[in-house]
Amino acid sequence: MPLLNEEIRQEVSRFLEDLPGPVRLVMFTQEFECEYCAETRQLVEEIADLSPRITAEIYDFQADRAKAEELGVDKIPAIAVIGAQDYGVRFYGIPSGYEFSSLLHTTRSVAAGKPDLSDATLKVLGGLTKPVHIQVFVTPTCPYCPQAVVLAHQMAIASPMVRADMVEAMEFPHLAYKYQVMGVPRTVINETVHIEGAAPESMVVAKLQEALKNN
Amino acid sequence: MLNENPTFFKSLQQAVRGNMLGPLLLSEPDAYDVVVIGGGPAGSTAALYAARAGLKTLVIDKELTAGAAGMAGQIVNFPGVGPVSGVELVQRIRDQAASFGARFVTDRVLRVDLGQNPRGVWAGNGVYFGRAVILATGAMGRKHRIPGEEPLVGRGVSYCATCDGAFFRGKEVAVVGNTEEAVEEALTLTRFASRIHFLSPTQDLRAHPDLVRELLEYPGALYYPAVHVIEIVGQEAVEGVRFTNTKGEEERFLPVAGVFVYLPGNVPITDYLEGQLPLGEDGCLIVDENFQTAIPGVFAVGDLLCRHLKQAVVAAAEGAVAAMAADRYLRGRTRLRTDWSG
Repeated sequence: MPLLNEEIRQEVSRFLEDLPGPVRLVMFTQEFECEYCAETRQLVEEIADLSPRITAEIYDFQADRAKAEELGVDKIPAIAVIGAQDYGVRFYGIPSGYEFSSLLHTTRSVAAGKPDLSDATLKVLGGLTKPVHIQVFVTPTCPYCPQAVVLAHQMAIASPMVRADMVEAMEFPHLAYKYQVMGVPRTVINETVHIEGAAPESMVVAKLQEALKNN
Repeated sequence: MLNENPTFFKSLQQAVRGNMLGPLLLSEPDAYDVVVIGGGPAGSTAALYAARAGLKTLVIDKELTAGAAGMAGQIVNFPGVGPVSGVELVQRIRDQAASFGARFVTDRVLRVDLGQNPRGVWAGNGVYFGRAVILATGAMGRKHRIPGEEPLVGRGVSYCATCDGAFFRGKEVAVVGNTEEAVEEALTLTRFASRIHFLSPTQDLRAHPDLVRELLEYPGALYYPAVHVIEIVGQEAVEGVRFTNTKGEEERFLPVAGVFVYLPGNVPITDYLEGQLPLGEDGCLIVDENFQTAIPGVFAVGDLLCRHLKQAVVAAAEGAVAAMAADRYLRGRTRLRTDWSG
């Protein structure tokens, strides 16, 4: 049974019309001990079905370990959204609920390869010399979360020094515990700096600079 | 983990489908002439005049009882009407606006993009576009926090039960507030928390009686009327709340892991503008004599404004002027047209 009904398939098709470039949704799964791997795979395949420019590539997290390591994928279900190059855009956990929108928006941005960010932000990101890892913890029922996820992914598209993950907190309780996630969205930059809530672009940039000072 | 909680997710299909599809899809690709944000006396009257002028009009409002008028027990000085409860007055204006074709949706606006045209309005359940936008979000934003609240945001202090409820599975939580939103959020928490302590600043709750009954009848909910929360206590995470009765007597401490705060304040609500419009002192919005902001086609009315007299009739009048100015803006006219016809 499909996850997306006909009405949503049509809406998604319209949204993904005229993608400016090809996108690979590289998904990692396994048959056991992964609550939402099967559904995430199905979701990725159904989306790929709706656009000729999107392809779904499915890998087994165990059997294709080398591929997982190449893409820095360390947990499942995982989706790497890859365009003209790998910008470091990842989804960990199923992008359901409000995060389905994040996946679609990020797919469009990756296809374009051009981030929708202010000149001031692009200037800061362009000058980065150290790696930045942004993890945005979410729940699928959080309407404020996609804003934080999409912004983090835009930053990854803008700079080869930045990689950005959506992390579905309920599916990775050990990470939620490790990063003390009790509210979402919670953005963790380079393990040290936290942002509560969907912060404006300028604040995220300031926090990113703070994280780099700490390193 | 997720399937341990069937009520939360019901099914994956449901999470992916329907409203849960999320706000970023263009659910309403056709633009409205006027999108009004806020459905109190100012916003609803603006909608009434805009719709009456033949403009395709949408009002996005959090809920009927959310604003200052919606919370007013009785309004006795609205000309030609009264005495009437705030809710009834607002409902009558809305009904009148709807009779001219204005559409009302219940949703929370998260952000706007006033720079593009049509302007985008992102709400929880959809994105809406309007060639003109009238801001009427009132002045019930919070400036003063409860001691302990700010440092514990994200560490047990939350403003969104649907977002964060799942982190409090099997734990005791407090909900602070007295509005419909507070009661609805408390009902959401019944799916997760082992016990809900509902702390209301007033004796009665300002919510629909059916919702209040549902909450009070829930075995895991304890109701504390007319209390004043002194402090949210905790070091790394919330450990509890201290409160007294409204006279400042009988101090008590409740050990809870989460505190969900829904208290109204008295400063203009402009956070969703994210700095796109200049603000005056105390965060109020600056407009010209036609209630137009610094961005042409974007208007603001009601308690949001600087130098605004906080009266329902004044707010309504401002809504009328702004709607006529929006009409003029949209039709490229230079003079206001007065509608005297029956």
